Amino acid sequence: MISVFVRLKLSLLRGGLRQSAGRRAAYVTSAVLTLLFAAGQLLGLVLLRGSEHAGTVVVLLTGVLALGWAVFPLFFPSGDETLDPTRLVMLPLRPGPLVRALLVSSLVGIGPLFTLCLAVGSAVALAHGAAAVVAAVVAVPLVVLVCVALARAVAAGNVRLLTSRKGRDLAVLSGLVIAVGIQFVNFGAQRLGRAGGLSALDPAGDVVRWIPPASALGAVEAAGEGAYGEAAAGLLLSAAALGLLLYAWRRSLVRLMTAPDGSTLAAASRPSRRESAASSASPGPGRLWPEGRTGTVMTRSLRYVARDPKTKAAWVTSLALGLIVPLFNALQGTGSIYFACFAAGMLGVQMYNQFGQDTSAFWMVAMTISSARDAYEELRARALALLLVTLPYVVLVTVLTAAVLGDWRTLPDALGLSFGVLGAMLGTGAVASARFPYSIPQEGAFKNVAPGQAGLAWMSILGGMVTAAVLCAPLIALMVWLHASGAGLSGRLLLLALGAAWGTLVAWAGLRLAAPRTAKRLPEIVAAVSKG
Amino acid sequence: MPDQIKDDVAGGALGEAPPAVRVEGLWKRFGEQIAVAGIDLTLPAGRFIGLVGPNGAGKTTTLSMVTGLLRPDQGRVEVAGHDVWRDPVEVKARIGVLPEGLRLFERLSGRELLAYTGRLRGLPGAEVDKRATQLLDVLDLAGAQHKLVVDYSTGMRKKIGLAAALLHNPDVLFLDEPFEGVDPVSAQTIRGVLERYTASGATVVFSSHVMELVESLCDWVAVMVAGRIRAQGPLAEVRGEAPSLQSAFLELVGAHGRDAGESLDWLGGAR
Repeated sequence: MISVFVRLKLSLLRGGLRQSAGRRAAYVTSAVLTLLFAAGQLLGLVLLRGSEHAGTVVVLLTGVLALGWAVFPLFFPSGDETLDPTRLVMLPLRPGPLVRALLVSSLVGIGPLFTLCLAVGSAVALAHGAAAVVAAVVAVPLVVLVCVALARAVAAGNVRLLTSRKGRDLAVLSGLVIAVGIQFVNFGAQRLGRAGGLSALDPAGDVVRWIPPASALGAVEAAGEGAYGEAAAGLLLSAAALGLLLYAWRRSLVRLMTAPDGSTLAAASRPSRRESAASSASPGPGRLWPEGRTGTVMTRSLRYVARDPKTKAAWVTSLALGLIVPLFNALQGTGSIYFACFAAGMLGVQMYNQFGQDTSAFWMVAMTISSARDAYEELRARALALLLVTLPYVVLVTVLTAAVLGDWRTLPDALGLSFGVLGAMLGTGAVASARFPYSIPQEGAFKNVAPGQAGLAWMSILGGMVTAAVLCAPLIALMVWLHASGAGLSGRLLLLALGAAWGTLVAWAGLRLAAPRTAKRLPEIVAAVSKG
Repeated sequence: MPDQIKDDVAGGALGEAPPAVRVEGLWKRFGEQIAVAGIDLTLPAGRFIGLVGPNGAGKTTTLSMVTGLLRPDQGRVEVAGHDVWRDPVEVKARIGVLPEGLRLFERLSGRELLAYTGRLRGLPGAEVDKRATQLLDVLDLAGAQHKLVVDYSTGMRKKIGLAAALLHNPDVLFLDEPFEGVDPVSAQTIRGVLERYTASGATVVFSSHVMELVESLCDWVAVMVAGRIRAQGPLAEVRGEAPSLQSAFLELVGAHGRDAGESLDWLGGAR
């Protein structure tokens, strides 16, 4: 049975790779990168051997690794075919052997290999003396098994959630967590570098060393120091965790494979409290929908920001990064108030590929656009919906940055430049939407372009940004000149007004340019946004 | 005999009003593959028209080109006397479409989707909401009107798509596989609405590969095979001597007399 599952896993891997050259290339690249990274880690850990902080680093690293394994199945529910046990429901299998076979087959893959490299490196870094080596021989497999079992138990416990729409929405939002998380890690690392090194981490390490599977590696260190009781406790803790995880996994497997899935039953759906309240309380159910195309399109756009996971992720990432980058730079004293223009740029990007954001539902819009005038109103409404959020936000970020820097003098011209950038992004975004539409796949957090359209997407965004920069050049030149000539407040306020006016003009021109193209290319746009 | 009378009425009307759809020399190829190979079609107004053919015959491609969602390589399409590509203002106001394989704005609730579509079409808001309420009631979607369309079943999606296509009271309604994957109850509801709609003098053009359905619903059919129109005309005419549309169709396609022979003789034998 175990060998059948391992072979099944290998066939699935092979079959997946045979599907397309792109997928093969992606797999090989990711495998090579992961292994290089693992090799680097291994080397680093081996070099760490003998350092007084080795224990802390290793234990924390293992803790982070285990956390990654626990979260991984929530973010990548389709990452592993053997992962979905509901596919095996019709086969006559007993839960005991099934869990064993699934566990062993789960050990095949890049992820477990990476974990193994790390665990071996950690053991090498810590093992001093014969007792520690013995402990390490037990600890390394234990770490790998606990990590894999953790991922499987979490996945099996949440299969119903992960295969439902809510779960898939959650997975799409994961990109956001990672994008924003990287920024925090980045600034955290800079902090740490200044705070005086790794000893700052020791208290955290002391706690984490008792959490499995890090406790197994803590045991290796303890065994090296002669604290055999502590070592045994650490190993036992990890082994107990493994047992507990396997038990939990087995229980959810049995429940999954014997209990019926009621999630698609419709008959018993009484209107929930919110729905009944909505239908009884609202005088006209459409009261929130204004008349005419402009208001209607704005309402729809803003509802999609709140409800569509892909759009929401893009927006929240933009909003968060637009705030974090200028503000954190300012906090660290390296910033300039002009960094606040980053916020305008980040949000302006949302104007790009407007129709791709609709997915193939764009046909519903296409059926109602019969003239350049309709197309202009459609695009203008989308730009206005963006402005409704972006304008106050850009002002807020710029003022906050000015406050942190204490640089109120340059506030007006930074704000003027931001408005200019925003207008240029909206204008070029409208043209790019009409000229270079591309599909955004709805599943997966990291696929933002359908296969074969990556070049189109790059051309759209890169070309647009360069054009936007060129369009802002007169504004920047004027600003430099004003600075050089030492202009006073009146000059800066003039720049603010000019920036706003220039931004409006460029945005308007972009919309005007894009509208007839949109109206003429409707079938082409529908085709371009319906791929994938 | 009733068929005869109906034909005469339609024939009389044909002289005054233009046909609902007129297609001339329509071509579409995707790379090497010819999807639609120069078809001519004249679909009379006020009829329930079925476009039938096996999978891959080019039905969806044809309907996409007729409704302006796909640009043809060559050929002319007129809806109610207006050229689809030269006069979109006139055409888009007169047609309703339910395509196959394209999404709806799924993150809106059913009611919101109708409110959005109606207003985008330039109808006054109060009128949109009134029509939406009635459509949701008739299509048995009132209970699910505040649920997001993404959580709808296939049948519910087809019904809300139909409601969105009917909202502006079009002259001609194009439906691509409206009964595909739809449960019998929803199918009956859709049928009722469509029959009432054609009784008012409007035209329905729908594609399907279920012959029994087409035979029971339509009074006019066009048979499409491998990118060409093999037959078109009143149902009785296309059916001819054959006992059913199914067998007439198999004859047209040339699939009659194909037998499993002895290759499966073990199936159902001694185990």
